Amino acid sequence: MLISCNKLKSHIKNSEDIDWLNIWDTFTLRTAEVENVEVKGNSFDNVVVAEIKECIPHPDSDHMHVLKVDCGEKELIEVVCGAPNVRVGLKTAYVKVGGHIDGSEIKARPLRGILSNGMCCSGRELGISDNHDGILDLPSDWVNGTDIKEYLPIEDIIVEIDNKSLTNRPDLWGHYGIAREICAITNHELLPLDILEITNDLEDLDIVIKDENLCYRYTGLKIENIKNNNTPLDMQIFLYYVGMRSISLLVDLTNYLMMELGQPMHAFDARVVKNIEVGLANEGDTYTTLDGITRTLTSDMLMIKNENKYFGIAGVMGGLDSEILPDTTSVFLESACFNAASIRRCAAKLGLRTEASARYEKSLDPNMTDLAIKRLAYLLKEQNPDMLIASNLTDIYPKVLKEEQIILDKKTLSTYMGKTLEDKEVNNILETLGFKVKVDKYYYDITVPTFRATKDIKIKEDIIEEIARIYGLENFTPKPLKLDLTITEHETIYNQEYDAKKLLATKFDMHEVHSYIWYDTDMLKTLNIQKDNVKLLGKETNNILRDDLSLSLMNIVNVNFKNYSHFKIFEIGTIIKDNQNKRVLSIILTDTEKNLEAIYNEAKKVVKYLFKVLKNKEVTFTNNVNEYNYYNDTLGKIINVDNNKIGTLNVLNKSYTNKLSKKKAIVTIDIDFDKYINIEKEEKLSKEISKYPEVELDYTIILDNKKYADLEEVLKSFPSKLIKNYRLIEVYENKYLIRYTLGSNNKTLEQKELQTFQERFIAHIKANNLKIEE
Amino acid sequence: MEELLSKLKKDLETKLESAKKEADILNIKSEYVGKKSEISSILASLKDMSIEYKKKYGSLINNTKKEMENMINEKLENLGNDVEITFDDTLDYDIKTGSLHPVTIIAHEITDILKRMGFTVVSGPEMESEYYNFEALNVPKDHPARDMQDTYFLDNGMLLRTQTSDNQIHAMENFGAPLRICAPGRVFRNEDLDANHENTFYQIEGMVIDEGITIENLLYVMQNLLKEVFKKKVKVRLRPGFFPFTEPSYEMDMSCLICGGKGCPTCKNSGWIEMVGSGMVHPNVLKAGGIDPEKYTGFAFGFGLTRLAMMRYKINDIRVLNSGDIRYLKEFNIE
Repeated sequence: MLISCNKLKSHIKNSEDIDWLNIWDTFTLRTAEVENVEVKGNSFDNVVVAEIKECIPHPDSDHMHVLKVDCGEKELIEVVCGAPNVRVGLKTAYVKVGGHIDGSEIKARPLRGILSNGMCCSGRELGISDNHDGILDLPSDWVNGTDIKEYLPIEDIIVEIDNKSLTNRPDLWGHYGIAREICAITNHELLPLDILEITNDLEDLDIVIKDENLCYRYTGLKIENIKNNNTPLDMQIFLYYVGMRSISLLVDLTNYLMMELGQPMHAFDARVVKNIEVGLANEGDTYTTLDGITRTLTSDMLMIKNENKYFGIAGVMGGLDSEILPDTTSVFLESACFNAASIRRCAAKLGLRTEASARYEKSLDPNMTDLAIKRLAYLLKEQNPDMLIASNLTDIYPKVLKEEQIILDKKTLSTYMGKTLEDKEVNNILETLGFKVKVDKYYYDITVPTFRATKDIKIKEDIIEEIARIYGLENFTPKPLKLDLTITEHETIYNQEYDAKKLLATKFDMHEVHSYIWYDTDMLKTLNIQKDNVKLLGKETNNILRDDLSLSLMNIVNVNFKNYSHFKIFEIGTIIKDNQNKRVLSIILTDTEKNLEAIYNEAKKVVKYLFKVLKNKEVTFTNNVNEYNYYNDTLGKIINVDNNKIGTLNVLNKSYTNKLSKKKAIVTIDIDFDKYINIEKEEKLSKEISKYPEVELDYTIILDNKKYADLEEVLKSFPSKLIKNYRLIEVYENKYLIRYTLGSNNKTLEQKELQTFQERFIAHIKANNLKIEE
Repeated sequence: MEELLSKLKKDLETKLESAKKEADILNIKSEYVGKKSEISSILASLKDMSIEYKKKYGSLINNTKKEMENMINEKLENLGNDVEITFDDTLDYDIKTGSLHPVTIIAHEITDILKRMGFTVVSGPEMESEYYNFEALNVPKDHPARDMQDTYFLDNGMLLRTQTSDNQIHAMENFGAPLRICAPGRVFRNEDLDANHENTFYQIEGMVIDEGITIENLLYVMQNLLKEVFKKKVKVRLRPGFFPFTEPSYEMDMSCLICGGKGCPTCKNSGWIEMVGSGMVHPNVLKAGGIDPEKYTGFAFGFGLTRLAMMRYKINDIRVLNSGDIRYLKEFNIE
């Protein structure tokens, strides 16, 4: 929102004491964020009031004129001008030779052969309006040669305040509220507004509110005999500086009041208003708004109706048939207050967010509507001394919003502030902000003004915020929390996730990735996989939440296949399964097809290593019956810890891998991290080391059409007290090298014992129909 | 005699210096300290000398022989150190490193600082109920944040959490007061993607509840957290803000790291960057968490880990973070 400092000054007593350029840093710290401060009126100089004394068409141009102007000097000066509105007697703005416009110097120069000594200016050229239809038309009583800045409020400071930081402050959506805030910050006095009191000895207007919960108040007034509909230049400049377009006095005044008080208003041509009714629209009706667009209405949109026909969308925008026309002399003024949520929904549905709706959706103070009308009438009368009030100030206000009391005990205030403030200070802060305060020994009895009560101030903590911010946050001393050695509750999820991630990245050179919680629709299409899971509402693509983290990572696999032939990635992320959040660790290893065996074995090692190092647990792999058909049934394994399933290891079926990239292999690991978290780390106990030497014996066993798992069954079923452990050392074709470590804790093994072991072992292997190299 | 002994030592030293092979040294050994060596014969002849002579030279000769033996043994021991180098010792190798996601690195750093201040790290669900995401946090039914435009609602009646503040309620329910938690996590907003906007990003939430917690405590934790993160290079300022779940509410800005506070496009020419939303916990939120607001006060804060990571690592396109593109991610060595 744009704020004019000239306007603020007009509301503050002794405003010249305030440093208007530098107050805004403080304003940011006390009230709301200031985004920009711009000094206006610096871009030109030597622009004076000048009167056209002679005006003849340029002999060599079809639209230019050669003027002689009186700019307060002895001689008339000859100027060439292309504007259509030149005429003898017109007073306008003239830049002298040597003066500047928009930073560049104006020189005497020939225009189509005739020397132009300076330049007559339009509003746009001076940067005080967007009007470039002609040169400025100044009042006839202004003195020729006077610097235009002496007549017009061209020099100003325009401040841009971040709208977002005003969301919670309906009272700050107009200059008057900002002025009040400045008063509180600088300890100044806010001046009351000049208004026109309405005597109410005429007829009431016919106004009906159908829904009191959506329209809190509707105030109307009819005024006739408005002959002058020209907006004074100073008001035009103000409106232009704060981002509004000047249209006509009546329209400009409604905008002026919106900028001044924050109260949106509407001026209808009184000739067409018979009776006003505020009520809901019929579903599916259409209505054409002021901007010429026909819009479809829904049954929750609040409408202004006249003679049972739509007349405007309440709080959003008026319609074409009620517009102020050039010949309008009587006006019906609307100043109303609507339900904020209803206006917000309506504007959002229509995609039509206007200055009015933006204010209404902040929850405006309903007690402001009559003040705004009286203020507008006052300003209108300044331009139209003969205007006639043609109706009572008709005020439909079913449920009057009253001021509320809040008790703030001093103890709570001190607790929050960390210090105790003097009553005088608290009192002063609150009163300049518009609160009324009764000071008691133990508490403050505070009356909240209604302009703060609609949304912002409800409880004592809200009052504390007011005191703390005006007191100044920079005046607080940061204090550490008191020493407290109570042991806190401990949740290890975060640490365990980090430890696992770090292990994978450091030990196995893997890259951590983050992906989305939903499946990529294109990826599912590419793979021709249908998924049915919880869905996002109102979205057509990327709307199915993932129930398989590894599958959802195929998108990322695809991205990286463009640059790498093999890589390893992982993510710890959330999937949604059976309507529940589940944390999963997925690891993906990829390589060319011929290296499937290598990455498959590496995947197993990664899992073994992870559980050995982080949980001190041994994992086992058992055959899997696959839940999803895109994984290979034979190669898929269940990962078990303590005989419980903790995850799966899978290979993406070739037909799917091929859709991503040809001749590639993709191995996936999914660990149920919720279960993982709950596995207690097996305690490591010190092991006694035998004093006697151990002996290693190697056996090469030949497996025909059998796997290591079969061999292991055989090895497990061989009992011997001498066995410390056995390991698979190497596999070459179908030859499996097994190394036994034998030993005893009480003695050195004798040759005879080893001999017996050897014979028994070989016999055992043979008995199980396996071959062994002797 | 002294001269003779020192000459012998000198000769040995010279010989040893030029000897390279073990055999040569062994030869020198037998020549200088062996049974037939000069010093051995001198020692042998000692027994025929007078007592005075023995007294005068006995220990000197013995010591010299020991010294000479030591010299030889030392040379023998060190022989292995002077192996001829048969490989290229100047080779360089490309090492393979994995990487952690930048957000993981930042989250780890922040939680580390908070742990030092006594915070416990907790985590909460990404699919969340309306109650925990909005209602319990004092976000009323018609609040704009509840609009479809901002929130991903799900067809099972749940939603994807829009903020990590849901952890406030979970933590109060799980632990009660007093409380000191932080919760990094992923949040979701229904936004169109561009270089500055993501629909999926990370925040961290913090909450402290105890008797007598003040605005000053909030200030201390916020200021020191940012100082630790940015190694004191930043200025911070606190200004009024608005969040439904805190009252009073504050926005904490940090001086822009790109322009140093002079004003640039990143900070929209203000010199400041909005970093942290914070405030004193709203009494309604305390009540929703089962904590008596008349007895306890507290503060809470939240800020964007994703944004912090972008600033720290000068990542100028937010989309990189969820792309999984190893070409970008591999740069982030494990910290």
